[in-house]
Amino acid sequence: MNGGLLTALIFLPLIGALFILMQSEERAIWNSAFIFSLLPLALSFYVLAEFNPHVAEYQLVEQYDWIPSFGITYHIGIDGISLFLVLLTTILITLSILYSGGGDIEERPREFCFFMLVLETGLLGALLSVDLFLFYIFWEVMLIPMYFLIGIWGHGRRIYAAIKFVLFTMVGSLLMLVAILYLVYSAHEHFNRTSFDLPLLYQVPLTVTEGRWLFAAFALAFAIKVPMWPVHTWLPDAHTNAPTAGSVILAGVMLKMGTYGFLRFAIPLFPTVAVEATALFMALAIIGIIYGALVAMMQPDLKRLIAYSSVSHLGFVMLGIFALNPEGIDGAIYQMLNHGVSTGGLFLLVGMLYMRRHTREISEFGGLWKRVPVYAAIFMVVMLSSIGLPGLNGFVGEFLIMLGAFLRIRLATVFAVVGVILGALYMLWTYERVMFGPITRAVNETISDLTGREIAVMVPVIALMLFMGLFPRPLIRRIEPSVTAMLARANVAQARLELERQPNRLAALSAARQTPNREPEMAAATR
Amino acid sequence: MTVEFPALALILLFPALGVLFNLFLGPRYGRGAVNVVGPGVMFVAFGVATWAFLTLLAMPPGGALAVHLWGWIEAGRFHTEFGLRLDALSGVMVMIVTGVGALIHLYSVGYMAHDEDFARFFTYMNLFAFSMLILILADNLLMMFVGWEGVGLCSYLLIAFWYTNPQYAYNGRKAFIVNRIGDAGFLLGIFTIVATLGAHGVWTLDFVELRQHADLLGGAAAIAAGFLLFIGATGKSAQIPLYVWLPDAMVGPTPVSALIHAATMVTAGVYMIARLGFIYTMAPAALNLVATIGGLTALFAATIALVQPDIKKVLAYSTISQLGYMFLGVGSGAYASGIFHLMTHAFFKGLLFLCAGSVIHALGGEQDMNKMGGLRRKLPITFWTMFIATLAIAAVPPFSGYFSKDLILEAAYDSGHSWLWFLGVITAGLTSFYMFRLIFMTFFGESRVDSEREHHLHESPAVMTIPLIVLAILATVGGWVNLPGGLLWGNAFVRFLTPAVGAFQPVVEANPTSLSLVASVASALGIVLAYLFYLRLPGIPMLLAWRLKDPYNLLLNKYYVDQLYNFFVTRPLFWVSNNVLNRAIDSFAIDGAADGAGLAVQTSGQIARRAETGNVQHYAFVYLLGALGIVAYYLFLVTR
Amino acid sequence: MSPFNLAAINFVWLPILPLVVVTVAAIGVLLAGVRVDDGESEGLGLLTLASLAGAFVFTLGILGQYGVAFAGAISVDSFSAFFELVILIAAMFTVMMSLDYAAENRIPGAEYYSLLLFSVLGMMLMAAAGDLIVIFLGLETMSITVYVLAGIMRRNAKSNEAAIKYFLLGAFSTGFLLYGIALVYGATGTIKLGPIHDALASGAMGSNPLLLAGIGMMVIGFGFKVAAVPFHMWAPDVYEGAPTPVTAFMAVGVKLAAFAAFIRVFMVDFASVGAHWQTVLWVIAALTMTGGNLIAVVQTNIKRMLAYSAIAHAGYLLLGMTAGVRSGPAILYYLLGYAFTNLGAFSVVIALERRGEVGNQISDFRGLAARQPLLAGAMTIFLLSLAGVPPLAGFVGKFYIFSEALHQGYVGLVIVAVLNSVISAYYYFYVLVAMYMQEGGVEVERLSARPALVAAIGLAALATILIGVYPQPYIASATNAFYSASGAAGVRSAALDP
Repeated sequence: MNGGLLTALIFLPLIGALFILMQSEERAIWNSAFIFSLLPLALSFYVLAEFNPHVAEYQLVEQYDWIPSFGITYHIGIDGISLFLVLLTTILITLSILYSGGGDIEERPREFCFFMLVLETGLLGALLSVDLFLFYIFWEVMLIPMYFLIGIWGHGRRIYAAIKFVLFTMVGSLLMLVAILYLVYSAHEHFNRTSFDLPLLYQVPLTVTEGRWLFAAFALAFAIKVPMWPVHTWLPDAHTNAPTAGSVILAGVMLKMGTYGFLRFAIPLFPTVAVEATALFMALAIIGIIYGALVAMMQPDLKRLIAYSSVSHLGFVMLGIFALNPEGIDGAIYQMLNHGVSTGGLFLLVGMLYMRRHTREISEFGGLWKRVPVYAAIFMVVMLSSIGLPGLNGFVGEFLIMLGAFLRIRLATVFAVVGVILGALYMLWTYERVMFGPITRAVNETISDLTGREIAVMVPVIALMLFMGLFPRPLIRRIEPSVTAMLARANVAQARLELERQPNRLAALSAARQTPNREPEMAAATR
Repeated sequence: MTVEFPALALILLFPALGVLFNLFLGPRYGRGAVNVVGPGVMFVAFGVATWAFLTLLAMPPGGALAVHLWGWIEAGRFHTEFGLRLDALSGVMVMIVTGVGALIHLYSVGYMAHDEDFARFFTYMNLFAFSMLILILADNLLMMFVGWEGVGLCSYLLIAFWYTNPQYAYNGRKAFIVNRIGDAGFLLGIFTIVATLGAHGVWTLDFVELRQHADLLGGAAAIAAGFLLFIGATGKSAQIPLYVWLPDAMVGPTPVSALIHAATMVTAGVYMIARLGFIYTMAPAALNLVATIGGLTALFAATIALVQPDIKKVLAYSTISQLGYMFLGVGSGAYASGIFHLMTHAFFKGLLFLCAGSVIHALGGEQDMNKMGGLRRKLPITFWTMFIATLAIAAVPPFSGYFSKDLILEAAYDSGHSWLWFLGVITAGLTSFYMFRLIFMTFFGESRVDSEREHHLHESPAVMTIPLIVLAILATVGGWVNLPGGLLWGNAFVRFLTPAVGAFQPVVEANPTSLSLVASVASALGIVLAYLFYLRLPGIPMLLAWRLKDPYNLLLNKYYVDQLYNFFVTRPLFWVSNNVLNRAIDSFAIDGAADGAGLAVQTSGQIARRAETGNVQHYAFVYLLGALGIVAYYLFLVTR
Repeated sequence: MSPFNLAAINFVWLPILPLVVVTVAAIGVLLAGVRVDDGESEGLGLLTLASLAGAFVFTLGILGQYGVAFAGAISVDSFSAFFELVILIAAMFTVMMSLDYAAENRIPGAEYYSLLLFSVLGMMLMAAAGDLIVIFLGLETMSITVYVLAGIMRRNAKSNEAAIKYFLLGAFSTGFLLYGIALVYGATGTIKLGPIHDALASGAMGSNPLLLAGIGMMVIGFGFKVAAVPFHMWAPDVYEGAPTPVTAFMAVGVKLAAFAAFIRVFMVDFASVGAHWQTVLWVIAALTMTGGNLIAVVQTNIKRMLAYSAIAHAGYLLLGMTAGVRSGPAILYYLLGYAFTNLGAFSVVIALERRGEVGNQISDFRGLAARQPLLAGAMTIFLLSLAGVPPLAGFVGKFYIFSEALHQGYVGLVIVAVLNSVISAYYYFYVLVAMYMQEGGVEVERLSARPALVAAIGLAALATILIGVYPQPYIASATNAFYSASGAAGVRSAALDP
């Protein structure tokens, strides 16, 4: 128990949201929204300062009884897996609000800021919950504001996209709810006490069949959110029709909830099944990587293109996660952050273009560089980060992921690098069609370069890309202990599986010793 | 022994500063400032490099300077740092890159004098130098990869420098993508090494440590790694099958072609293989592949160069061919000789391009040699320097090319690749033929220059000619650092490099003099033929082109390789992506299924709603049906 | 647990004091209203409100007493108290909605409010019934008054149609119920619930045909009142045609009362022969959920939509009943949340409604968020709660029922329910689409001039949030209430030790 630091972090935005409802004058709304996004930002950095890099378990824990008769507690905490996702959230929300205030959102700013801040509460809550029930609540809560953001301030088929987004997610999450309840029930059977507390539920022994079904339910819910192929089709619609800020948060943070879910729940809760399913999920991830890239290449609409590129990038994340070794998972988490920064940046840039031209059709542009050099330069950097140019953030993540995958299943990496090539292909091609060549449309002659505010939005993004590209250590140092601890469970499961597969115990053990991800403590030793 | 030498960082720092200045302040402070800063930082870097190199020379053989910057990626058991290391090998490379680089930067001041985007140009150039120096000075494989991709990026930016031309933009992207394909192989190579060593509990990519643990990489792993890394090399250094980007890269400003696509970047592959020689030595299969590809590329590219009308295209293919030589050298296990040719080539090929640039500059952008001729009086300095360079590349003693090419051919023969040696010899002949063809068509004979270009023909300004002269001197004497064994300081260069790259183990001992004699005869033959064809009997080329139409067109169209790639790779890829993946699967199958589910709910709702007739009798009927159902159930329950 | 203890007064009518109050009030309102003009019925409304409040207080007063009164005709326990309280709340909300509505639509005040009170009486009787006859009495009292209420707008064709349909089919089902009661009596030889429970619990019955037939008939009878598929066909027409406050009252009050009796009889007294009825309920529950949701998807009239949603929710409740005793508390809690949520939703509908028809189309809600942000906000809360979005009452209720059902191993049915919730999200969210994402719709007039209605909406919204965010006390009282049902004691001990 400590001064409710995380509680403050979660609910400050909500307070801000309610406060904004009382504002009426537009400037005041934007200003207070910005301030109320800065507060959690500052707080999250304070959390970073408070965070002890050497501890694997939850830190800054708070736990109070909430619904005793269900054994539900208000139990929150932060660890290496969630730490930087929290920071990413606070940063991106701040940037989105700063950006949207600059003319992107003109009607109903009050509701907009309200929903943005509620969304932030939902996201932070989901990241910080240790109690499964609490997590589920926040998981659903973040759905609603996003639904409104897409539906109210979106473009094109916004309503279709919003409903599709909600229904897709709900199918998964409600089945997950059933799984949660079943899990809690089994826990009750075993410990004779009802509890939604994650650490306890980790201990629940399940039969193989039970485990498979529950894992399937969790995996489906998270896979939809990620989104993994083939349950990804809500994403292009949601992204394309959402307002810029919506796309930024959707791509930047919300998709990570899926991958985070795998790391936090699906895998540690059912390690045995996860190990069994490794090949399957790696295959799906690879399909996502290549498929996403190729389909992205064919999109005429900038946002749709970026949306499919997200499918490809998240494929990398999933690949790293199911490498089930520290390299892969560190990389996956790092890649979550990278994708948040770079794709968030891309959506912001596309939004800026849309504000000027009110179209996202690639064919509408061409030769822009001459008119908007600053914009073009920034776009270039963001694009390079997105295609994983060494020295920028993207590379660190992709490298670790592919290394991890290589250590697990070599073939997987062979396919993954194809994705790297294709990534460069469609990104550069897009850039070429938008920025290079002669100016084909007269309207583009008069297009204006970035405003001070817009540059102010992009500078932190660029800075993050460089910093994360050159100095990944301070981040990974904090991420790793929790990852290793989480993996320990998967490794035990793996060892058990291998024992089952090969009755000869010695053979199993030697095999276990050879599989590289078997010795977390050695990982510590090499440092 | 290794000495901590922090100043190494300065070699990187200055180009970096140049980038920042040109990027942010360049446009504001204008051409004057940029013209000083752009080349300036390179000369300073060259100064620092020289200082470091001299320090290295002062040390006993096998010494090195190093500086550790900071830990970079550390995850799980894998860890790698940012650190710089300057040994004999990287020392030579740094001298070439900073030296030749500085000269070409200087030359660019003149060449870009009329381009309003000068700031952007020098930003890219400095950025390139920065990346190239990272590539060279990196003390581990992953950091080398940073530079490796960095130079690729700069090459992309500089090829597409005049981006308003869609074709140029396309060529830039083509270069980047083809390089990426190679880089993918490079990455896989890295993974292979990490995984193999990791299995033995060794987690490192540091060159020194790799060398120590090389024994763990034996057999298949080494072959796989060597092969995969070589894929990277074929991309970066334009070897078969990934050479296709280099000729198209010629659309960039000529100084770029000189610096990036002749002198430095394209040789990165050779450097990499020399750097990792200890792996290749353990993987003869991979090494043979390198040599074979090298030899074939050398010949292949040379044949294409024979008939190209565009002056820069000739030089481009000649570059590919010369790179082939280098790979033939390192592939034969004679890493030092490969690097030796890399150096001399940097001199004379850089020079050739700059001269070509000077010609193009003088002709206001004309590149077609059929529209040149008789320029030697109009552009004396350009002519003489280019002539020297040509002698060098044609391996005419005592010019630099002679020594290096000889060494490579000798190595090829002694390593048992006699047939590759033979290819090399033929290539030597072709080389001197197409190079002298270029000289004759450009500087001799009747002037075929259009009249309006004719009268503002002018020799380039001093800022351009001085680099030419300096490089000409280097192209002449550059080879003397490694005179044939036994002659004065014979083999000095090779001896200097050996500790860093390992010695060459010949398989067969041939008489070097006779080998060199054969090669010289071949090149001499080439010169004579060129003289006959293009000065004495100018009709012959046309005649041949007419008589042997098909082979001629085959060469003129570069064996139609681009078309093949386009037809068998690019087009199918796009077709499948669009029609199969995007349309059929994504929009129709997957998304259709999702929407279909929604539709199903709607329709079933509509149908069920039909029962709501508003008619009480119907309601009562349904009600009764339900009731009967329940009653039936209970009857069943009872009678069971 | 009660603010002031009436038990001190030893008074034989004490257990039914609230009922007495309501009865007296009903007669009083009828008399007082003789000379009141239809336009000025507010006064009567307030009087009704006051008497209901009084009854509420008395009910609180007898809270915590256990036993039977009137020779077992009335069971005195927290179960009845719980339902009586919620029913009274529902009634009070209905009155608050009606104040302006009745006056505006020139509904005869005296008849309206006294009928309302009489039906409340019937409902409370059903909740407090100690034997099957009283249940039947209560049910009839309630039903007949509600038939009239549904048709009280004499000049409105739809209203009359609703009334007659409801009456016809209602009479129909009453027959079934009565027959069921008779059969059970024939089988067990008693109509008193306690003895019936013991008789069945003894296991002597086995699968006695009489008993089975009786159970079947009663399922049909109750199934009609809770509007379970296939006995639901009346609901949409009646809900649409009846005056909206009456619709709300039916959707909440009638359902509460019906479930009170249904639960008491089946989950408590028939618990021991669960095997005989759980399968039937399983099927009915699945049908009800699916049917309700599927048809709701295609509705364009908000009242019809809410009618079908009410059917769907009955399905979830039946799922709870199917799962057996342990989910009893969950059902009670669910009903509590459901009551507030639905009352709120209907209040908003009333706020939009003008002169009967206008404002009943979902399209009328378009652009509401722009014109009336608070009203739209409240409606959003209600809809989200109905859709089962956390952390609102509706979600916790579903969560509670589903978890108990899972514990009883009804995985299949729970998955059906879950998929249904997804479908339901579609049509609930579609109203949000109208309110927030589309233009047009009707103007809401003089909301400020309708304080009672506004208060109703506000309170409902508050309760919906509160019951969801901090459910513990309500769960506790629901648990306590359910297990206090006479005869359930044994069940409770059985249920609690696994």
